[in-house]
Amino acid sequence: MSQTPLLDVRNLRTHFYTERGRVTAVDGVSFSMEPGEIVGIVGESGCGKSVMSQSIIRLLDYADDVSYEGEVRLGGENLLQLSNSRMRKIRGNLVSMVFQDPLTSLDPVYTVGDQIAESLRQHRRLSRREAREKALELLRMTGIPSPEQRLDEYPHQLSGGMQQRVMIAIALACEPQLLIADEPTTALDVTIQAQILELIVELNRKLGMGVLFITHDLGVVSEICTSVKVMYLGQIVEEMTTAQLFANPLHPYTQGLIRSIPRMDGDRRQKLHIIAGTVPSLNDKPQGCRFATRCPYADDKCRNEEPPIATAEEGHRLKCWYYEEISNGLREAVGHGD
Amino acid sequence: MLAYIVKRILSLIPVLLVITIATFALIHIMPGDPSAAFLGLEATQADVDALNQTMGFDHPIVEQYVNWVGGLFRGDLGDSLFLHQPVGQAIAEHMGPTLSLAIVAQAIALLLAIPLGIIAAYKRDSALDQLLRGFSLIGMAVPGFLLALFLMLFVGVKLKWLPIAGYAPLADGIWQHYRYLILPGISLGTIQAALIMRMTRSSVLEVLHLNFIKTVRSKGLRETKVLLKHALRNAFIPILTVIGQTFGTLVTGAVIIETIFNIPGIGQLVINSIERRDFTVIQGVVLFVTLLYVLINLIVDLLYGAVDPRVRLDRK
Amino acid sequence: MELPQTKSQFVQLSRKLRKEQRLLSYFRLRTNYDLMIGAIILGVLILVAFIGPLLSPYDPYAMKVLDRLKPPSAAHWLGTDEFGRDLLTRVLYGARVSMSIGLTVTALSSLLGLIIGVYAAYYKSLDHILMRICDGLIAFPGILLAIALMATLGASATNVIIALTIVFTPSIARTIRSAALVVREQAYIEAIRAQGANNARIIWLHIVPNTLSPLLVQAAFVFAEAILSEAALSFLGAGIPAPSPSWGNILQASKPVISKAWWMVTFPGIALILSVLSLNMLGDGLRDFLDPRSKRRGNKKARRAAS
Repeated sequence: MSQTPLLDVRNLRTHFYTERGRVTAVDGVSFSMEPGEIVGIVGESGCGKSVMSQSIIRLLDYADDVSYEGEVRLGGENLLQLSNSRMRKIRGNLVSMVFQDPLTSLDPVYTVGDQIAESLRQHRRLSRREAREKALELLRMTGIPSPEQRLDEYPHQLSGGMQQRVMIAIALACEPQLLIADEPTTALDVTIQAQILELIVELNRKLGMGVLFITHDLGVVSEICTSVKVMYLGQIVEEMTTAQLFANPLHPYTQGLIRSIPRMDGDRRQKLHIIAGTVPSLNDKPQGCRFATRCPYADDKCRNEEPPIATAEEGHRLKCWYYEEISNGLREAVGHGD
Repeated sequence: MLAYIVKRILSLIPVLLVITIATFALIHIMPGDPSAAFLGLEATQADVDALNQTMGFDHPIVEQYVNWVGGLFRGDLGDSLFLHQPVGQAIAEHMGPTLSLAIVAQAIALLLAIPLGIIAAYKRDSALDQLLRGFSLIGMAVPGFLLALFLMLFVGVKLKWLPIAGYAPLADGIWQHYRYLILPGISLGTIQAALIMRMTRSSVLEVLHLNFIKTVRSKGLRETKVLLKHALRNAFIPILTVIGQTFGTLVTGAVIIETIFNIPGIGQLVINSIERRDFTVIQGVVLFVTLLYVLINLIVDLLYGAVDPRVRLDRK
Repeated sequence: MELPQTKSQFVQLSRKLRKEQRLLSYFRLRTNYDLMIGAIILGVLILVAFIGPLLSPYDPYAMKVLDRLKPPSAAHWLGTDEFGRDLLTRVLYGARVSMSIGLTVTALSSLLGLIIGVYAAYYKSLDHILMRICDGLIAFPGILLAIALMATLGASATNVIIALTIVFTPSIARTIRSAALVVREQAYIEAIRAQGANNARIIWLHIVPNTLSPLLVQAAFVFAEAILSEAALSFLGAGIPAPSPSWGNILQASKPVISKAWWMVTFPGIALILSVLSLNMLGDGLRDFLDPRSKRRGNKKARRAAS
């Protein structure tokens, strides 16, 4: 890895200030990604993956009472320390985002064309006519049916799949280096989902843009991502390549996630695996290993001491005291810690 | 959109029916004989009978109603017993000052309320927001006529900056016209401003919590653009609604404010008519203002379509 | 938290939860400044309205020509009016008039609105007729309708109450109806009906209690509006007839002498503002308390400081 990374996140913490006190939703996340890479961020809802992704371009600055710690480096600049006006030049230009629910993520009172043109006019200073032409080109690139007609339509007139293509066109308008896609296919039908995934992969290859893909769906990860970070309660508990994820998951949480995927070839009588318990609230996080309250292998050490980041093999790191014993079959499940 | 307009207009029919019946009933719920009440104690029975006949009070009640509504369709609101002129004409003569006052008040209200409401929403929970909230609470608690008296006391009597009473028609020059309307306009506009500001704040705040605001911000737009181009435009429907709904408050407020500042508008016409027991005028003004109010709210409803494409394009 | 296994554990748990609930309500009440301040000011005003007149040594109607338009002094704390009557005494009696008219109008229109609202929600056939009538009456600008009614009925306290009740009932009926419609669609109402409960029982025992929260909130605002409207009507000479002390009457009397007697505007004006302000705050506070979802988010700085 001699190349300079596209994005380098170091020890990122995101704190919210609520009526019940300070809540740390992202708790010491570090990772980096190369240009052109598709990185998956996986975890259950509430694990902090959305907050983490929005922290990268500081989208939370306005809507919530929030503070950040750590570094988010993009091309050598620490985004967390940029002035607001400098940060605005990065959003939508170098880094853009696609969100989960396309209908509510588009402004209902402006046409599709206006909304795509908006970032072009902001960052590229294009004239109204140039921006409109470019918007049409972008729509065409997303493969939306009859793009000329779509330009003057409003979001509510489009289907969910078309809306998400519009979102992607908006995000790609200024040819960003990094696209953050926050569950972009969750709200869509399965067939549409596949089309959108295909589109993202295609654009990634064609434009060489890095994609940070946030999802709770390991199936999606296996289809498009080169590497994966598994998040739990605001931390990355395991990171590895996609191949390693399915061949050799080491963290008990990752193992649980994989076993809870329904399999076409599995025994139908066998019950689907469920990870015991629910994600603890951010207000009372366990003090040792975050997963200890739900881990079948946990003991007092897990409950009291936070495990360090261990490297299992090249590119495969995780936070677990006992992963070697577990993978060698030397450690028995002692039941569900509760 | 056309079907939407037609449906909206058809839904007015029962409302108009109730409005006309209630207004018609105003004269007939009066204890005793309306003609006797108008003519006073010295009137002879013959005088009363004669008036009953000219007013048509001797006909069956349903027939009277039908005749009256028939007149309305021809723009005939009846005749004033005291002024000896058609009620419609009396209203037309007094409408100008009231309209001027309402426009000045609404303009003051909108110019204050919308920017302040946006600022309060954007800086929510800040000291400024709390201060503005305090102002709007007090603004809503001070009735227009009381504010008018206070303004007269401090600005008119103590500081002698502005005239405390009277009216100059537009023909006397714009400055003269508006000079007389400043104090009444502030008195009337303050409650409006408080209401509209509250609504602007809450609806902008609501829009700011919607998902697409995140999209807009992720494009790297300035906050002023996020607020004015996206949040305000989306928040406009509830703001428009409150503007339409408070039109009634505005006109009734004007009625009271006019009597304080001696502005010869329809307010003064009504109050004078109460003293003269000139019931047809009262009836006419109530009906006219109510219909105007209904019309304004209809226009507001139709404006939704202009503001929100979902209304314009969905209800085909 | 462990799930309860035995009955005693269950009882313990539910007791604990109930206690937490109570603490939470108490906390929400304590931090609901609108509700607290509004209730305290209103309480004081009501107390003043009903006890104040008893403590005053003056007769509100006793005229003393020599004491006309005297500024506030030790003898007359708030000064005297254009007939030499003690202003403080008149304002106190005026409070009594305002509060009793406000309360009566609120009570009458709440009761009428409640009945109209729940029956309209429950019986589809009634709904159309009643709601169209309400729509029609709501279309009249409030005070204008009241002025017209007063003009035909004649100025008196009873007629003020009648006119304002007609003005405020339709909007209460609308609120109640929409709350009742929600309850009516609940599955348990269907279940109760299936058990054979009759309509009156369902309406009064099951639907009405669920409409009381929105009614309470709106009653606070109607109370404020009623006080305002009564003052406006009296100010125009279409409300409480002249010699009776009412804030509106005092304000009307103050207008011709405004350049000579600032106290005649200021004191009844402040009384009027305070009562409307306290009721509006009470209404806002009640809404926040009864419907926590509408609660404004707490103060940013306080949250930072607390954490």
